[in-house]
Amino acid sequence: MREQSQAQLPAASAPSAPVPAEAGEPRASPLPWVGGFLALIGVGAIVAGLARIGAAELIVSDLGLGVVGWGPFVELVIGGIFAAKTSVMHDSLAATLGAGDAGGGDLLTWAGLAVFVVGWVLIAVGLRSRDPQLTAEGMSIRAPLNPRLASYRDFHWGTLAEYGFGILLSELALILVYTLLISVGADPKAQLDEAQRVFTPVSAFLVALLLAAVIAFAGGYLGAANSKRLSTPEATLAMLYFGLPVPIGLTLMHLVPTLTIKVGYRLREITYLSSLLGESRPQLGYWLVFTLLVLMLFLGINTGFVATSSGRTDVRGGFELFVANRHVSVFRPRLLLGAFGVLILGILPPLIIYAFIAAAAAQTERTRVRQLGLKDPLLAAEALHRLKGKAQRPTEMMTALSVGGVGVGVMALIIVLSVMSGFEQDLQQKILGTNSHGVVLKYSDSMAEYRDVMKKVATVKGVAGQTPFILNEVMISSEGNISGSMIKGIDPETVGSVTDLPKYLLAPSKLDWLEDPSQIERKHLTGLDDQPSELDRKLPDDPYLKQEDGKGEEEPVLPGILLGRELASSLKVVVGDRVNVVSPLGGEMGPQGPMPKSRPFRVAGIFYSGMFEYDSKFVYIHLRDAQTFFGIKGASGIELKMDDIDDARRVTRAIYDKLEGYPYRTKDWGEMNRNLFAALRLEKLVMGIILSIIVIVAAGLIVATVIMLVLEKRKEIAVLKALGVSDGGIVKIFLSEGLQIGVAGGLLGLVAGLAWCFFIEKVGIKLDPQVYYIPSLPVKIEPLQTALAVVIAILVTFLASIYPALKASQVEPVEGLKAE
Amino acid sequence: MGAFLEIQDVFKSYFLHGKRIDVLRGVNVAIEKGELVSLVGASGSGKSTFLHVVGTLDAPAAGVMRFEGKSVFDMNDGEIAEFRNRTIGFVFQSHYLLPEFTAAENVAMPAMIRRQDNGAALTRARELLDRVGLRDRADHRPGELSGGESQRVALARALMLQPALLLADEPTGNLDPSTGEGIHQLLREVNRELGITAVIVTHNETLAQSMPRRLRLKAGEVVAAG
Repeated sequence: MREQSQAQLPAASAPSAPVPAEAGEPRASPLPWVGGFLALIGVGAIVAGLARIGAAELIVSDLGLGVVGWGPFVELVIGGIFAAKTSVMHDSLAATLGAGDAGGGDLLTWAGLAVFVVGWVLIAVGLRSRDPQLTAEGMSIRAPLNPRLASYRDFHWGTLAEYGFGILLSELALILVYTLLISVGADPKAQLDEAQRVFTPVSAFLVALLLAAVIAFAGGYLGAANSKRLSTPEATLAMLYFGLPVPIGLTLMHLVPTLTIKVGYRLREITYLSSLLGESRPQLGYWLVFTLLVLMLFLGINTGFVATSSGRTDVRGGFELFVANRHVSVFRPRLLLGAFGVLILGILPPLIIYAFIAAAAAQTERTRVRQLGLKDPLLAAEALHRLKGKAQRPTEMMTALSVGGVGVGVMALIIVLSVMSGFEQDLQQKILGTNSHGVVLKYSDSMAEYRDVMKKVATVKGVAGQTPFILNEVMISSEGNISGSMIKGIDPETVGSVTDLPKYLLAPSKLDWLEDPSQIERKHLTGLDDQPSELDRKLPDDPYLKQEDGKGEEEPVLPGILLGRELASSLKVVVGDRVNVVSPLGGEMGPQGPMPKSRPFRVAGIFYSGMFEYDSKFVYIHLRDAQTFFGIKGASGIELKMDDIDDARRVTRAIYDKLEGYPYRTKDWGEMNRNLFAALRLEKLVMGIILSIIVIVAAGLIVATVIMLVLEKRKEIAVLKALGVSDGGIVKIFLSEGLQIGVAGGLLGLVAGLAWCFFIEKVGIKLDPQVYYIPSLPVKIEPLQTALAVVIAILVTFLASIYPALKASQVEPVEGLKAE
Repeated sequence: MGAFLEIQDVFKSYFLHGKRIDVLRGVNVAIEKGELVSLVGASGSGKSTFLHVVGTLDAPAAGVMRFEGKSVFDMNDGEIAEFRNRTIGFVFQSHYLLPEFTAAENVAMPAMIRRQDNGAALTRARELLDRVGLRDRADHRPGELSGGESQRVALARALMLQPALLLADEPTGNLDPSTGEGIHQLLREVNRELGITAVIVTHNETLAQSMPRRLRLKAGEVVAAG
């Protein structure tokens, strides 16, 4: 039979194409490149057209999305819709979505879109161009084709379905499960009552996210297990056609009014959650979660491939780990110690120490070899040979560098995030030291019945303390200066149960002096200053003062006032001095409207909270004095302190319910200082992202290292394959090599970062107190945040080593064996 | 019922400077169990390629190979890896030992890949090294072994899992005649005592003459050699 086929060979091949061996390679069609070029021009034209309409700013302003996966594409779509909306506002929604004709202004956009589409058609056509050799008949025409060649590059529809449904189902599951969980136990009448819900938004989100992640992972795993390879085209298609519509739809929901009206209210919980995730930009939240799910799908695909590409599920890895350990040998004491030294001390000192030690070791070794040589030259030669054998391979150096790189990244992340947390905590402490955890207010000028309200509030669980207050804006003048201030009437007895004001008082101030101002230490200084001041002598004719007024040379008993340190120094007053408080309102009517009202006070104390804003703006007087001064009955509100500060929102809510709502209202500290803390969180997020770039650079190093390892080990990969290691086994070997580098770097970074934090905390880094209001750099190690930094670094290095590991598995045994 | 190893219509080309060279043009050969076969041929005639195809290291363009009646090329990646691991022992022209591992670990490698117990594998590896006369070199790394020693370690590694088929690609090509003769002696012993079928590619005509069955690769086909 074979003879037959060979006999036919000349006859069959003569009339057709020449012998394939001489036909030359099939030429690559230029069409895809032309198409790609056209598509680029199209994108340029679209952007130019959008810019002409003025939608480009919208895109640019929303560019924050651009960092997340398909962001740029979404920007384009969003931009397009905005463009259409602004130009053809009068048209129907159908026209808005692209069917109708657009004004001449965005002709360029549509032309660009057309060019873009034509470009992609060209790419598609070019990639499908035929191989002319297919018509030729060769000598091996009758022989059974190798099954592996026969199954080459077929498209796995099943895999596409698994990937696609995996990502789609995970998205839908996240939305449905979250919505379902959040409504469990929620009384439809009291939807706002978070205390009654079985799941808080966070726990519901975590449960739903976990489920969605598992589904995405399972989809990826099953798909890869089905096709026994990565199936990148299928994964891309699945993401484009199954994964993207949901986040795009959600994003569009915010941009197209009709959709917002029709769908928005059903998904309000999702929107609320996403706006929490995305720092009040729900779109960012959608894309963050989508990216996470895609990542899970990708991890699933990779795991599925590694586990099953060898024909059956095999998750054992003892042998692979054994080989990998020998390849990289990351966990050598010298390497770890060296990297740790660099992390802690910087590059130079360890290098100098290393140079010293190495020089000394080499010297002693040389001496030893020489002595050996005197006895037995051959033994000396052997010792020398061994010494040379220890010379480092380039990959060892690369490994050490990668470990150090990951370590630096993790360390920087941990230190910076901890310091920022420290600042945040410090700020929070200071804000809550002078401010309360929550307030009860009333929709009216004053709350005369504050004592009854306080009794009711006291019955609510979670309230640790409460105090009435009156807040107003005044001007304060002394002989030296004048300043605008917030004045707060406080109850000295209970104020300590809510704020740290009593602790902030600087000697010789005393809180009691507010109650009994006659005790205030007067300025009885000798010498020049011994004269009663101008203000002291000229007492205004005021019935309020008369009751306490002394006579003759005696200084009058004035009500006490507490000033912040900054305010006191700008007014140039000390304890015992007089100041005038001027209120623009509350005085009698004069010819030109209400007259300002002025009262003298005596400085009873100076406080220092550490917050410039408070120390320069706030003054405190007795509630009683404030009532008289402003003519208020009762108080303006009640300040609260909670047992658990993180529970403040729930407790204020409960108090609101207890007081039966209107005319009362409540606010917690988060609401009162919302902007500040939002800014802090955003800053931390941005810092985290910036520092993650270090980790990404380190990941690049790992990719380079593992690629070097793969190149260096081509021959050994081939040998291992010849000995029966499957492709999946090779992937496992090199994945675990990358992972070892990541784990070693991550742990080193963790230890070094914690050591630095400890150092900063214990020894302290001094700050300029005039600028920072904190004597030294604050540090707060948050376990979750620290662990997250390490986990993210390890995950990134794992992802980084996937590509080189796959490359390694693709080394053909024969190619590797030839590379001698 | 077919032969122990049956090869039909195997086609294979390799590429040199972008040109296709068809080295195997429909190879048909059958090998019986326990045979000791030599394969000779001119340089570049495709001897190594043939051996690689038989050892599943290289996929042919077309053809069928049956091992004990089972079609080998129809296996998936995992089955092929297992086939290489359990059924075939390779000895190459160069020893191809893994430099990071000691001689004993290198020999034990196939058993470790098969996920056998490491301790037992290492014990057996030492026995095998003892057998090839390298008892005191077991803990040396390949860099510290001579060429002949390395090749013997490689042979011990090939025998670790008692393969049914031993494929040797010019195992003595890099060795001096007397050292090479030692390796040949070992191969013959292995074939005789363990009953392992062996195919030995060589361009050493005298060695080839000493084998019971002699094959020659000529013009892309395997024919019986004189």
